[in-house]
Amino acid sequence: MPGWPEKRVYIGSHTRRIDAPAKVTGAAKYTSDVQPEGWLYGMILRSKWAKAKITKIDLDKALKLPGIKAAVLAREGERTVRYYGEELAAVAGSTKQACLDALRAIEVEATELPFVVREDEAMGDSAPRVWEDSPNAAAPHVNEKGEVDKAFAECATVVEGSFSTPVQIHHPLETHGNTVSWADDGITCWASTQGITSVAEGLADNLNVPQSRIRVLSEFMGGGFGSKFGPGVEGGLAARLSRQAKAPVKLMLTRFDQSLAVGNRPSSFQKIKLGATADGILRAFELESYGTAGIGAGGSTAGGGGGAGFPAPYIYTVPNIRVKQSSVAVNAGSARAFRAPGHPPASFGMESIMDDLAVKLGMDPVEIRLKNDPSEVRRKEYRLAAERFGWKEKYKTPGSSPGPVKTGVGCAGATWGGGGRGTQAEAQINPDGSIEIRCGTQDLGTGTKTLIALIGADMLGLKPEQILVRIGDTRYPPSGGSGGSTTAASVSPAIHNVCTRALEELQKQTGIADARGENWMAACKKLGLNPLVVHGAWQEGLSSSGAGGVQFAEVEVDTDTGFVKVRKITCVQDGGLIVSQLTAESQVHGGILMGIGYALYEERIMDRQTGFVLNPNFETYKLAGLADAPEIDLVLLDMPERGVIGIGEPVTIPTAGAIANAVANAIGVRVGSLPITPQKVLAALGKDKLTTA
Amino acid sequence: MKPFQYATALSPAGARELAGEDGAYLAGGNDLLALMKEYLVEPRILVNIKSLPGLNRVKPGAKVWTLGAGVTVAELEDHEGVKKVFPGLQQAAAEVGSRQIRNVATLGGNLAQHSRCWYYRHRDILCLKRGGDTCYARHGENKYHSLFTGNTCISPVVSNLSVALTALEATVLVQRGDEQKRMTLKELYARAWDNPTAHNSLEPGDLILAVEIPVRGGSSAYLQASEKSAFDWALVSCAVAGRVKGGTITGARIVLGAVSPMPYEAAAANDSLEGKSLDAETAARAADLVLARAHAQAQNGYKIPIARALIQRSLLQLKAQS
Repeated sequence: MPGWPEKRVYIGSHTRRIDAPAKVTGAAKYTSDVQPEGWLYGMILRSKWAKAKITKIDLDKALKLPGIKAAVLAREGERTVRYYGEELAAVAGSTKQACLDALRAIEVEATELPFVVREDEAMGDSAPRVWEDSPNAAAPHVNEKGEVDKAFAECATVVEGSFSTPVQIHHPLETHGNTVSWADDGITCWASTQGITSVAEGLADNLNVPQSRIRVLSEFMGGGFGSKFGPGVEGGLAARLSRQAKAPVKLMLTRFDQSLAVGNRPSSFQKIKLGATADGILRAFELESYGTAGIGAGGSTAGGGGGAGFPAPYIYTVPNIRVKQSSVAVNAGSARAFRAPGHPPASFGMESIMDDLAVKLGMDPVEIRLKNDPSEVRRKEYRLAAERFGWKEKYKTPGSSPGPVKTGVGCAGATWGGGGRGTQAEAQINPDGSIEIRCGTQDLGTGTKTLIALIGADMLGLKPEQILVRIGDTRYPPSGGSGGSTTAASVSPAIHNVCTRALEELQKQTGIADARGENWMAACKKLGLNPLVVHGAWQEGLSSSGAGGVQFAEVEVDTDTGFVKVRKITCVQDGGLIVSQLTAESQVHGGILMGIGYALYEERIMDRQTGFVLNPNFETYKLAGLADAPEIDLVLLDMPERGVIGIGEPVTIPTAGAIANAVANAIGVRVGSLPITPQKVLAALGKDKLTTA
Repeated sequence: MKPFQYATALSPAGARELAGEDGAYLAGGNDLLALMKEYLVEPRILVNIKSLPGLNRVKPGAKVWTLGAGVTVAELEDHEGVKKVFPGLQQAAAEVGSRQIRNVATLGGNLAQHSRCWYYRHRDILCLKRGGDTCYARHGENKYHSLFTGNTCISPVVSNLSVALTALEATVLVQRGDEQKRMTLKELYARAWDNPTAHNSLEPGDLILAVEIPVRGGSSAYLQASEKSAFDWALVSCAVAGRVKGGTITGARIVLGAVSPMPYEAAAANDSLEGKSLDAETAARAADLVLARAHAQAQNGYKIPIARALIQRSLLQLKAQS
């Protein structure tokens, strides 16, 4: 198997997205744009209780309303709902308004049950149980090595701190949803998904229909961040509504729905103790944490996203460690994988305590990382980033910047596995010289289509626009889900392989020694009447895993109002062979913006009186906007010898830790809780005490 | 959303008649349509007031400026004359929502908007303001809530323009029944101070026609603190107005927003500045007087130092502008 071409014209270039014109003109059809003949709106009725026994749901009145064509229950018979927003029933109708009216006409008989939505309260022995058969707090996961107590006793310096991170909601701009048409010959599902194949599997299983009868399409989609792998309850409901109504049903969730039931990042409450020698070598580490993954952390994890654990002591190697982590169930929607699951809270806690240690030792925060970070790549990145950022000139004693508006700087590191394999693809070369590459992957908005075109162009000596890329259809060769930053590393080698084999076959059939570039048209003409179709698959040696990255942040903190403004982020990231430079850079920008949101704005707020999510909208669930975006200086280390590596996840990991350290450096005290709001900054400065309550 | 009728009015009296007691006036629709979608209000009829003569006019004057209620927030933001004569109003307008919102949001709608309390706005919560019997914010999540109130509801007024206009001693011209009535800004919100279900003092069918601002020869300034850099509500806002000559201030008005169901001011604070040299010390003293009666809830005590900072900064900005 040959490696990546030495001469790369398009791979690694700043070529723009091949679908950019379609996206900016609106020609690109997303799931929410699809309008098959005779389609109906679908909508879901959700639980208005944080916990309740549902004894009866009467759909009759809803079914009789004008425009309503179908109504189904999410589950038959008596049942217990365990969070506000859990699905009860769904309706399909010819207008949105008809559906809204129908939802209000459905009669639900329910008995409210005690609930708990706060992690600390759920831990208590007398707290209402989320799952009747098991305590809310699962048995802790313990990891111990070395002699921790002895090591702490021998440390020259020990620091301790408490850190917390909120439940963060994925909130992709395109909400979850599907348009499903269930006809006699099978099911067609247009899905907003990260995995067309897993949607087909999920629907087959849910509806008891052979997978061969299900076709899933997703040519364009507007983000998922880990929360869109299966059809979801909403997908199954849309299918059943379609069967009942004998018409296609489009069921896209609203932003309100999105806040309740389709995933989130678990919270964390971390107590950390870290000990080091006088010259800053880490010797002992202790962490006790808990957090919630919603109802998913209790007795049943069906549909859940696992627990609230995270890697500790994250990227550092400490000889003596004691880690105790537990997940606590609360009456709220389940967590799902969320861009670098576990890593942002791990990075925030660990990198914060590292800076506290550096301050106590009187060491430079970059120095202490260079001494303790086991990754050679990351140490190199720290040096390069510090140089570009001007760290030496900018780093000052914490809190020493003059005036009420103080500046500060901080840094943090990240790691991510990635990898990816298994993709298949096929190429069809037509006698007229046109070529089509088909692959059953999907483009989350990250640029997968563009990546395929760029590789195809370089492998065949063509221009990217000569290659018609077809993805997002389960009738194409399978690729697998797009998660874990695996898509680029899984898809790229398959495209390399299919192009290599197609070229070989073309040359063999036509007798032209090199059919690339200027010989392409002549070779294709010689194919005669039948197009050439060649199959290819992922091969070892063209991609790899393991991406390290560092980020540096510069902030301004108004110590009178508590307002934090991020001025600059410098990011140095390892991504192996960068296939599409522009979309890779776009990933970095997106990761940093999401990291800023995590650091400063985002938080799901639960009301303990009602058990409801209080901010199910973008008014009070605050996302970073353009005005909040800093200057971003980014370097993607060029390491083509490592092959293709995905970078979607690592670039969002260290942002919050770097910002938190910059805030601490600016004001001289630690804000240990995300998001770092004016309220928390003023409290840390002791100014919140001027209250009269 | 409940079905409703739609009509376009061509005169204030006609609008009033069309709306009756259970209609609503449609201009920018930012607040009204959201309220209707959440079933918070269910008007029988929407009366389009965008064609009322003069409603979208800014009329400068030597003694009084008249701003039609249909003038958009963006027009106030962009108006060179407003910027020069009432800088505090222009600054307040520039902080409303996003540019897209400001392009359609109107002066009248901004003044008449409902509470943004997340309990009041929640579709499945019947709070005190909606006619229930509990102010959930008092015992729940109240970091965005009031420091001052005359009743049990602690949701604050969030209209930026109301804060600036109070400092400018503006009056509001309201069509009430067959009459046109003038109300001070204080009168426009007085009912919300006492009555937990009120957002302002308007009666059903009342229509804001215009705002009149006296030209007092001084200057004004507005500052707000938010969690985000743009497109975010104020945690606290502050408008000041007065005449500063040779460093001495007269006729000072200090008004806070987002801390009370009505734009909040303390006469003692205004009086404390009369004839005084405006400096860090007198500004701090005034801030203390404004905040003397602040009553923090469990999560909103941080608004007090923010308010203090904004009062001091806006007063010093006023001095710098003069």
